[in-house]
Amino acid sequence: MSAEKPLLRLSGVGKDYAKVHTAGGRLRLVWRLLRRRRAADIFCALDDIGFTLQRGQSLGIIGENGAGKSTLLKIIAGVVKPTRGLLEMNGRIGALLELGSGFHPEYTGLANIELAATLFGLDAEAIRGKRDDIIAFADLGEHINDPIKTYSSGMVVRLGFAVATALSPEILITDEVLAVGDESFQKKCVAWMEKYLENGGTLLLCSHSMYHIQKLCASALWLKNGKMEQYGSAFDVTQAYLAYHERRSASVARVPLVEAGGESGFYTLMDVEMQPETAIRMGDDFSVRGKIYSPDGREPVMLFGLTRQDGTPVYGVSTDMDKIRLRKEDAKRFAFDLVFPNMMLLPGQYLARFHALDPEGVRLFDTIEMPLTIKGETREFGLARLPHEWRHQRGA
Amino acid sequence: MNNSLRLFVQFTRREIRTRYLGSVTGLAWAFLTPLALLAVYNFVFTYIFKARALIADGSFILFLAAALWPWLAAQEAISRGVMCLSGYAGLIRKVVFPHEIAVYAVLAGTFALQIFGYFVVLLVLKALGEPVHLRGLLGAVPVLVVMMIAVTGVTLILAALQVFIRDIEHILPPLLMLLMFLAPILYPMSAVPEKMAVLLSLNPFTWVANRLRDMLILGDLTPHFGDLVALCVAVAVLVCGRAFFLRLSPYFEDFV
Repeated sequence: MSAEKPLLRLSGVGKDYAKVHTAGGRLRLVWRLLRRRRAADIFCALDDIGFTLQRGQSLGIIGENGAGKSTLLKIIAGVVKPTRGLLEMNGRIGALLELGSGFHPEYTGLANIELAATLFGLDAEAIRGKRDDIIAFADLGEHINDPIKTYSSGMVVRLGFAVATALSPEILITDEVLAVGDESFQKKCVAWMEKYLENGGTLLLCSHSMYHIQKLCASALWLKNGKMEQYGSAFDVTQAYLAYHERRSASVARVPLVEAGGESGFYTLMDVEMQPETAIRMGDDFSVRGKIYSPDGREPVMLFGLTRQDGTPVYGVSTDMDKIRLRKEDAKRFAFDLVFPNMMLLPGQYLARFHALDPEGVRLFDTIEMPLTIKGETREFGLARLPHEWRHQRGA
Repeated sequence: MNNSLRLFVQFTRREIRTRYLGSVTGLAWAFLTPLALLAVYNFVFTYIFKARALIADGSFILFLAAALWPWLAAQEAISRGVMCLSGYAGLIRKVVFPHEIAVYAVLAGTFALQIFGYFVVLLVLKALGEPVHLRGLLGAVPVLVVMMIAVTGVTLILAALQVFIRDIEHILPPLLMLLMFLAPILYPMSAVPEKMAVLLSLNPFTWVANRLRDMLILGDLTPHFGDLVALCVAVAVLVCGRAFFLRLSPYFEDFV
């Protein structure tokens, strides 16, 4: 029983695209391909992709534009032959790649339903049985008899989704399609997908909506420049991906890091450490400690803050605000030790920022930043879990 | 295999329907264009060039129709077939299916209409009193089949090339024109100087034109050794063309 074949297995899969700019280059390319050679000038769209998908284990694929998501889905769907690597597939696949997948623009909606079903491998009788379901789900009214080229992009997706749903494939590949339909159709799709997953279906979802990935997928794959950046539980991967984007958009005007511990004429942070060091689980205790060097022996102010990766402040507090005094170690050294019991920040990547200020708490002399990861599996929104309780079920 | 056949039938049906249902006069165009050409050539070659004198006996219009119509069928099939993959680009980029079926469907759609038109015209000419040998229709079928086999092979090669090299569509019309005038379509073989005759006999359509006239006008159904050669060449062209096409088709998705 345990040795069930995986639904899908990829190992070392890569795809090169030929780069040709001139007519002569195209001619040479054809000649090379005819002799079973590789193209001379290539662009590597995907490299060394490997993962295994079991039945019912849905996978979300995320990454920036041009990261290779669509190429990967096309390889899995069989439209593109991988240049390298092995692909093992043990199921019937239904692909919904981009807009108007598998539709002929000149054909009517009805004719395209027939075409799609034939391409999927259904015979005429089976198609007739499914046709009414598809028409009902797509809900296009009279437009079903118009050529697809007259449809709006939303209508094409409706039809595409309706066809994909009716064919009930073992793997459903969808690429960004949820982003197009209107609100009510999106809800219908998500509801259908959840039911499909409940019934043991497997979903391969490519989306920029981390919400949909977390909701529908157990695991996620982050592609970056055609390579696997991270593969793991949907929560971990989407959080890391979001944090990466926050870091990227926060490129401007960071406080320059001052080398810690130097004994200079300024108030300087020394021996700063976090406990645990870089990552904690949501709900654990988190503490920071360290010292501040004071050149004139006066007691400085210590400010500690937490921000998102892009610098959005989450919480900051100083000894000054709390009217707390630092512990004097010797003539010029003052120690601090701060604990946050039961850390309720939502999972994600944060920065811990330590600041040394003058005794008046006005001028900033030193800053140290340390990355902090909060781990956990939750789909709550925002920055922190606010204390709350649902009271309606307590009765009178 | 069964599924490929279903797909072929569906593509072919759509091919015929979308081509003629969209236009006002519908199917009529399939016959009007060759009929008009037939009339024009008949007028020009009868009254201006006096080509009629070259035909020892019989009618010039039958002589013309017997070879011109199949040539137009072949020409249209090649032209359409070469361009057909870009019409299926949406499918090729997103769905798995044997790409060659798109080519076969276009060819089948074109040939079905044109060959049907050919037989209708021959029957009409017979009804009008032209000396058509109805027995010859039986012999015409295998000749046309051999022609279709060869055309399919050539089209597969050109269609695959067209995906990568867009020049094919521009090179093709003058090339087809040349082939047409280098075959005994508008003139009989007997009018050709001996030196040129060798060159003309290298044109595969020369065989098609001559054999069709043998059968339909002379009523001579005896098989020649050349028929066997033609069949072998046609099959070889198809086999090579298909191999060529299949070698390149995995890369269509990126270029189509």
